[in-house]
Amino acid sequence: MTIPLGHYLMLSGLLFAIGLGGALTRKNAIIVLIGIEIMFNAGILNLIAFWHYNHFAVLTAQMFAIFAISIAAAESAIGLALVIAVYRYYKSVDVDEMKSLKG
Amino acid sequence: MYIAFWFISIITVIGALLAVVLRNVVHCVLSLILFFLGIAAHYFLLRADFIGAVQILIYVGAVAVLILFAIMLTRNVTGGEGPREILGGTWWTGTITAALIAAILCWAVSVDRVAGVAPAGAQAKSSVLLIGRILIADWVVPFEAMAVLLTAALIGAVVIALEEVMRRR
Repeated sequence: MTIPLGHYLMLSGLLFAIGLGGALTRKNAIIVLIGIEIMFNAGILNLIAFWHYNHFAVLTAQMFAIFAISIAAAESAIGLALVIAVYRYYKSVDVDEMKSLKG
Repeated sequence: MYIAFWFISIITVIGALLAVVLRNVVHCVLSLILFFLGIAAHYFLLRADFIGAVQILIYVGAVAVLILFAIMLTRNVTGGEGPREILGGTWWTGTITAALIAAILCWAVSVDRVAGVAPAGAQAKSSVLLIGRILIADWVVPFEAMAVLLTAALIGAVVIALEEVMRRR
């Protein structure tokens, strides 16, 4: 009994929505980054699910997944460095307080 | 197979939910680690074992530790008491957007629309040897570009985080 592809797609859609909700609703900038990481992982899970069901013989999707994971790691390093720099300036990681550019 | 899928899926979704709703940021990161492990288990279930190992090494080993260090360096860990203290000013638009996106995605990928062909007993060619070979043969240019990107990201992160020290000199 095999699992239909739609199950994986629905799971990753749900995870993407959870990450999006976290990134949009929370005040803490670190939780916003956590939400972005959850969205990244949902996308990569989608990629691997499509690879498993449709192109099992070639490894292109796995290459894409490896590069996506590397880019996500670089993104999280830069994002956390930005959070630390912002904290040094505002003494807070609250995204609602970062409004110096607001007119 | 089916039971394993549902078990891992439930653990993954619970980890993701707790990672965005818990009040204490450190608890959020611990739930995030649970989520990452669940995703890695899904990769193993999908017979992408190298990606699963990479997921555990990079996400659980590096990204989660990086987030924990960022929490320690920014210090106000616990947030406040009520939901007003942890939710942003426009939390209801965010919630509505996320719920809409969830509904649209679930509608778009509902089972009768997507037809995936299950691998008909094909031997898994996902061995690490093969991945390493095509990584330095067919994919060598993206591989080197990724090396440059990671170096640039490393230097950039250090420069951004050390901004004040550099200005003082």
